Amino acid sequence: MPSSGMDLKLQAEELLGSKLDRVRVVTDTTQFMDLSRGDVLDLQDRRYLVTGVAYEGRFGLDEEPKHWVKRALDFSDGSQKLIKLVFFEEFDLPIGGLKVRCFRSPRKEARILELVRGRPQFMQGISFLDQAGNEVRVLDRIPGLSLDKNLDALKLTHPAYFEGHLRANLQKFLGCLEAIAFLHQRGERHGDIRRDHIYIHSQNRSWIWIDFDYNFDFKESPFGLDLFGLGNVLCYVLGRGIPTLHQLKQERPEVLDRLDTGDLSLVIPNRVFNLKKVYPYLPEEINRVLMHFAASTPVYYERVEEIIDDLRAGMAQLPGPAKEERP
Amino acid sequence: MILWNRILVGIDDSEPSLSALRYLAGVLGGSNTSKVRLLAVYTPPDPDSHPDEAARADLSAERRLVLETRLAQAYLLLVEARLARENLSTDLVEADGRPVGQVIMEYQAAGGYGTVVVGRRRLSKAEEFLFGSVSNSVVHRATDCCVWVVA
Repeated sequence: MPSSGMDLKLQAEELLGSKLDRVRVVTDTTQFMDLSRGDVLDLQDRRYLVTGVAYEGRFGLDEEPKHWVKRALDFSDGSQKLIKLVFFEEFDLPIGGLKVRCFRSPRKEARILELVRGRPQFMQGISFLDQAGNEVRVLDRIPGLSLDKNLDALKLTHPAYFEGHLRANLQKFLGCLEAIAFLHQRGERHGDIRRDHIYIHSQNRSWIWIDFDYNFDFKESPFGLDLFGLGNVLCYVLGRGIPTLHQLKQERPEVLDRLDTGDLSLVIPNRVFNLKKVYPYLPEEINRVLMHFAASTPVYYERVEEIIDDLRAGMAQLPGPAKEERP
Repeated sequence: MILWNRILVGIDDSEPSLSALRYLAGVLGGSNTSKVRLLAVYTPPDPDSHPDEAARADLSAERRLVLETRLAQAYLLLVEARLARENLSTDLVEADGRPVGQVIMEYQAAGGYGTVVVGRRRLSKAEEFLFGSVSNSVVHRATDCCVWVVA
């Protein structure tokens, strides 16, 4: 039975644990900029109390509000949600020296949420059509931090990371690769694979892909951008950061003498991908996987399964068993 | 049955595609021994990226028109090179979610074309990795035929 205005306000205050000036029931989310704390989204009989706006956690854009993403509480159980509202945008994404036309697609994300329901390697959520037909996605909040924040918080030398953590982290990353293979096998792509789009659950330590709403119009190599992103994340996990030429010049100038242009990233040429020249103890088999993403590669990976097979074969060369990342 | 003198030419709106055609015209000019099919592959706009139906229909029509125009130009170019009209034909097919290279080679196999001609864009290694290459895809998929890649 629908609550009266006063009942709803009381319920919302109880849910929130603090007083609200007003509550307002919203069924059409088109004007998402107008939605704010105290608004109750009524989506096909499910109700969510908006508690605020979400902020960018992306490097360089930290603290910028994402007005189309609201923080919310579920009236049915009090659980925390992120609600993504429909915001179409189309822009050129700079990648290395290239520009890639990118589209934000709520419909794609809703479809993938449906496809990955119950799969722990993916963020979970449901989508609703609001009264105006907008595809609203209600996401379970993942307690934890992104992969990069987890790894950055490890105050270890690389040799210590290599000895104590790398094997376990690569094992987790293999799970992430298998998850992306699952998408590709079904004709879907993640679309925005980055190190801050893997979250690590603070309790069960699982690695979880988030954010599937980017889309691109490439048909000849539909998974090329995903593979590129996976190469970057792999380099990040292996090196606990991707060394750049600038950074090496400052911190380890002797390494620069060993490098040539073929050791750099194929797409972003200030990143060093031949990690064996930076960390000589890295097994050749593992480094070889990374070199498929380097400028000197004669062949590219075309399928995630190829990366998985090669990484698995190289894992035996790593020290372990050992701990995974945990700040 | 695959016949060497049944020639399939991949046409798109790029300059390399025209270069390939000019090369073919130079090789075949005046000859009446080959049948040439000019093939353009139309990729409809993705509804994920273009959700507005009307805008998508406009974009779709625009893309088709570009390819139809290019096919007509290509046909005339071969006629001007003195290839007999009865040996020339054009076709515009929909990619239906498939990569263009795959569509071309499926068409080649189905039609028994012994020679496939495509242009090659000057893509950097990075572009080829990220976006793919039709000519590479054609070469990798080719069996029982000859592929001319005109760079």
